[in-house]
Order: sequence, then C-alpha cells, then structure tokens
Amino acid sequence: MTSNWITTRAWLLMLPLLIVMIAIIGWPLVDTVRLSFTDAKLVGTAGSFVGLDNYVKMLSGSNFQRTLVTTTLFAVLSVAAEMVIGVLAALLLNQQFYGRSVLRALMILPWALPTVVNATLWRLIYNPEYGALNAALTQIGLLDTYRSWLGEPGTALTALIVADCWKNFPLVALIALAALQAVPRDITAASMVDGAGAWARFRFVIMPYLAGPLMVALVLRTIEAFKVFDLIWVMTRGGPANSTRTLSILVYQEAFSFQRAGSGASLALIVTLLITILAVAYAALIRKSAGAS
Amino acid sequence: MSALELIDIRKRYGAIETLRGIDLSLASGEFLVLLGSSGCGKSTLLNIIAGLAEATEGDVRIGDRSVTGVHPKDRDIAMVFQSYALYPNMSVARNIGFGLEMRKVAAAERADAVHKTAKMLQIENLLERKPSELSGGQRQRVAIGRALVRDPQIFLFDEPLSNLDAKLRMEMRTELKRLHLMLGTTIVYVTHDQIEAMTLATRIAVMRDGQIEQLATPDEIYNRPATRYVASFVGSPPMNMLEATVAEGIAHIDGSLSGFALPADIREKAGQVRDVIIGIRPESLSLAPAGDAALGIDAMVEVVELTGPELVVTSTIGSQRLTASLPPKSTVTAGMAQRFAIDAGALHIFDKATGKRL
Repeated sequence: MTSNWITTRAWLLMLPLLIVMIAIIGWPLVDTVRLSFTDAKLVGTAGSFVGLDNYVKMLSGSNFQRTLVTTTLFAVLSVAAEMVIGVLAALLLNQQFYGRSVLRALMILPWALPTVVNATLWRLIYNPEYGALNAALTQIGLLDTYRSWLGEPGTALTALIVADCWKNFPLVALIALAALQAVPRDITAASMVDGAGAWARFRFVIMPYLAGPLMVALVLRTIEAFKVFDLIWVMTRGGPANSTRTLSILVYQEAFSFQRAGSGASLALIVTLLITILAVAYAALIRKSAGAS
Repeated sequence: MSALELIDIRKRYGAIETLRGIDLSLASGEFLVLLGSSGCGKSTLLNIIAGLAEATEGDVRIGDRSVTGVHPKDRDIAMVFQSYALYPNMSVARNIGFGLEMRKVAAAERADAVHKTAKMLQIENLLERKPSELSGGQRQRVAIGRALVRDPQIFLFDEPLSNLDAKLRMEMRTELKRLHLMLGTTIVYVTHDQIEAMTLATRIAVMRDGQIEQLATPDEIYNRPATRYVASFVGSPPMNMLEATVAEGIAHIDGSLSGFALPADIREKAGQVRDVIIGIRPESLSLAPAGDAALGIDAMVEVVELTGPELVVTSTIGSQRLTASLPPKSTVTAGMAQRFAIDAGALHIFDKATGKRL
C-alpha cells in the first residue's frame, strides 16, 4: 500500500466530518465576517457596506471596555479559585479514608449538572426573600437583615463567581486527582525519608507531576470562563446596572436585544479573536512545559 | 549499644497477620539481609523500620531511642528503593542533595557533600543530568548517593538490585560490599536473592510467613540451616531433601534398598524410630565405585548437564530425586546405576513433622 493511498484514504474518511463542519461552523463564520462590515439589522434590511466602522465603534465604546474588565475579573477570579479548591479537594480525596470512593463520586455531581440547573439552584440560594444563604447568615448572626445578593452591583459578580466555582472546581479536582494517582508511592516515601514536610513534598515532589495536567485544566477553564454566558444569563442577565455583563452577554444584547446584526457580528469576532489569542498562548505554554519535562 | 532493635514487631491487616512477632538486635556496622520469598513480610518489616508503615504491636529502637510514632524524617535513616525513586524533575546533584536541602544545610556545604559522594560513586560527570537521561545502573548509583550523603545511623535497602540486568547486578553487589567495608555503616537490606544475601550479609534473617526462620551468619545459614525451609531456600542447585526412616541408628531412604548408619551425634538425637528428611547439598556428593563400603547412596542417573564450571547430575532413588554437582570432567552416563559418596559432616537431618534440624 503506497503512502499516497493512505493519505487519500484518510481524507476520504474525514470528508463527511469536514462537510458538516464547513456547513455549521465554516460558513456561518464567513457570513459573520461579511455581516461585521455592514450596518445590517437583525430583521429587515440586508444592510450596506460600512468598512471598519463597526469595529471602531465597538472597540472605542465604553461598554466594551467595561465589559472586558468585568469578563477578565470573572475569569481570573473564578479560575484561580477553582484551581486552588480543586487541587485541595484532590489532595484530600487522594488520602486513604473510609467512604472515599463515595465522596469521589459525589464530588463530580456539581460538574455533571447542566449549567442551567446549577444557575437556578444558586438563584434560589441567593433569593432575597427565602434564600438559604440569607437564612444561614442571619441565623448564625453574621447578617442583620436579608440582602439581595444578585440585586446589588457590589455583590452580584462575587455571587456569580461562587456559583461558577461550585460548578467547575470538580473538573480541576478530577484532573488533579488523576495526576496525583500517577505519583509513584516510592517517590513520596523517598521524600518523606529525605525529610520533606507536607509543604516541601507538595512543592518539590508532587507539583511537578501536577503541573502538566493542571495547565490543561487552566487552559480549558480560562477559555470557558472568558466566554461564559448561560450561568450569567439565567442568574442576572448581566445586571444589576450591567455589573455582571460579560462579553458574551454584550454580544447577545447587541445582536439580538438591540437587533444590530452588523455591530453584533463585529463584537463576536473580537471576542473570538481574544479567545484565540488565549488558546494559542496557552498551547505554546503547554508545549514549552512538555518539552521541559 | 545496638544500632537497631526490633521488639516483638507485629503487623495485622484485618484478620491477616503479615508479621508475627519479629525480634532482633543489630550491632553498629552490621550488614543484615532480610531474605525470603515474596509475601514473607520482609518489605513490610523494612517499611516499619523506616516509619513508612506503622507496626500494629511492638517497638522499633534506633540507637537506643524508641522511634515508634516518629516520622521517617526524624528517624535518622536513609533508604534506597527498588524503583530508585529519584525525583524526575531534579538534576542528579539536587536529587543527591535534597535530603540535606530539606534539613537546611547551607548551600556551599551541601555542594561539597554532594561532590564528595558523587566522587565516591564515580558519578561526578552526571551531576547536571536529569534521571531520565541515566541508565539503570547510573540511577542506582544516584539512589545510593542520595542515601550516603546524609550519613544516617542506618541504611535501608529495598531490593535495590532487582531491576538491573545480571551483569550489572554483580557489579553493583561488589560495589555495595566495597562501600560497606569502606564506610562501616549499618545496613538492613531486603532481597529474595540468596546470592546477594550470602555475599553481602554479615548476618542473614531468613523470613517465612511473617516470622524469622533463622537469624545467623551466611556461613551458618549455609552449613547449619536450622530448618528444612532455610536449607532449601539457600544454595543453588537447592539441597536434596530425601524422605527417610531412621530405625536403630540406620537411615533408610524411601525407595532405596540399602540403608546407611548415621553419624553418632545424629543417631542420638534421632532416637529409636522416626520419619526424617535427609538433606544433602549437591556439592557434598561425589562419585564412588559400586559397592564402596563408605557412606553413600545408590541411584539411577537420569540427566547429565554440563553448566560450564560443574556437571549437574540428576538421578532417582525410587520416586525421589537426587541432584549432584560434580567436577566438569567426571564420567557419568545417563541411564546407568551410580553410587554417590556422601561426606558424613555434610548430612543435614530434619524432623519430617516439624521441619526442624535434629
């Protein structure tokens, strides 16, 4: 069998997938690029060519800049918290104790739930009239009167970050746990004999095994957090006073709420570009760390 | 003062008892080998000494200090693992110096110690490399270096040579012996390899089912095995174990027509009538002319194998097997009857019921 035929066969086998991908991703993407150079509305006119106007308007607008800050804040804080909590949970679940496997299975539950369910659940917890958080905090005396956690610009974003953490730390924990189980027993034993305490053991002996897998988790979670939509849409719709409006929400509002397809498309492409930059940077990082070990 | 003392060490996992009362005391500078087949509890015992496992009962004393409940790092021990257990992300130099680093030894002093150790093990040229860039033998040296550099009271070795090929294993064995002679360190060494045990140890503890079957010098283990198990575990080819009956001081090997008179000292212990196992090392047998009056056994030669330095002859006495190691030039023919002479001093008689030496 010639290598020529092998190549041809590979392409033939991939062809159906390629067609589907071009149809549902490729073409819409191209059309979005086209739209972004027009002043088209969602309904009615097809719009006329306006050049880079949409991009200039969006990038220079204060809405975009404020939203970019909110999105970055959300992504950085929630991913950082998820990484820390996830690794701690994995370290705990890697210990020998009775009921460990049950706990391991339970831990995956938040991540396995659909985001909409998770978001609805947290909306109930944060409910200003009968929410569990208000009840708990007043009962232990930390709070005098019930608060509207999602209704106040000062607390809404934090409340969302907590909800996002609860949903996504299990993924990090799962990845970290798998990596921990790959650490040879002898190596940890050797480090104990060598005199490494718990922290030194984690830092010098276990961390090198965790670094690669955690990097993958970090990439996945950052990209997802950066384009977060459903959680926020269900819980706050970007409010109050746009304090939880992220880029994806802004794109939605521009294109669908305000029905400005042209500028909405340009905004969507800007977000896509930002995420691509993130992805490429992380891929380079992963290659570098893989090469180093 | 003893360097290490084990007092009635027991280890239970649920209903299963893997260590059933281990007592031993080790003088400073001794090289103790824990020898036994897999599952006999020797590695568990080593881990208990290291503090990596906790004994269910009993006490471990290192340098006259009870270390029960003491963290491994505070026991003043160093350990070499079967898998070497080098830190893959660290250079050889940092691997060796890690124990000192953790004990907050100053960098200059640490570098000094690492270099001295590396020189002793002839791995100075590897100090900047990562473990993944080393051969098995080199990794082994680094693992030993990591233990040596700390200069602890006791060195623990857990089957350190079993991942090496035969030639390298022999080299490292000699190397370990040289280091022990040079440094005079106290060592506890776990292995299932009887050659390692015989060549390295000042004393061997043969373990079986969580107990010490015999604790003695290699010479005594080989020449005066306390039990049938010890006798058959040490020696290659293994000792012949012939079922026999003793009556009135005459031993009759089952399946053999003739009997032979037991030496006087054994005759006394054997008493009147009893079933025994007669142990004869293959190398204590030699060829004898047929009908020779001296102590000997008649057997039918089945297979003759020349291994190089010796001729291994397998014969049968009734349904029992008899193996003899003879000089390579001996003239033996397969399928012929042959009389083998036995050195009277080399007879090992064990009680058949208890397996104990008479």
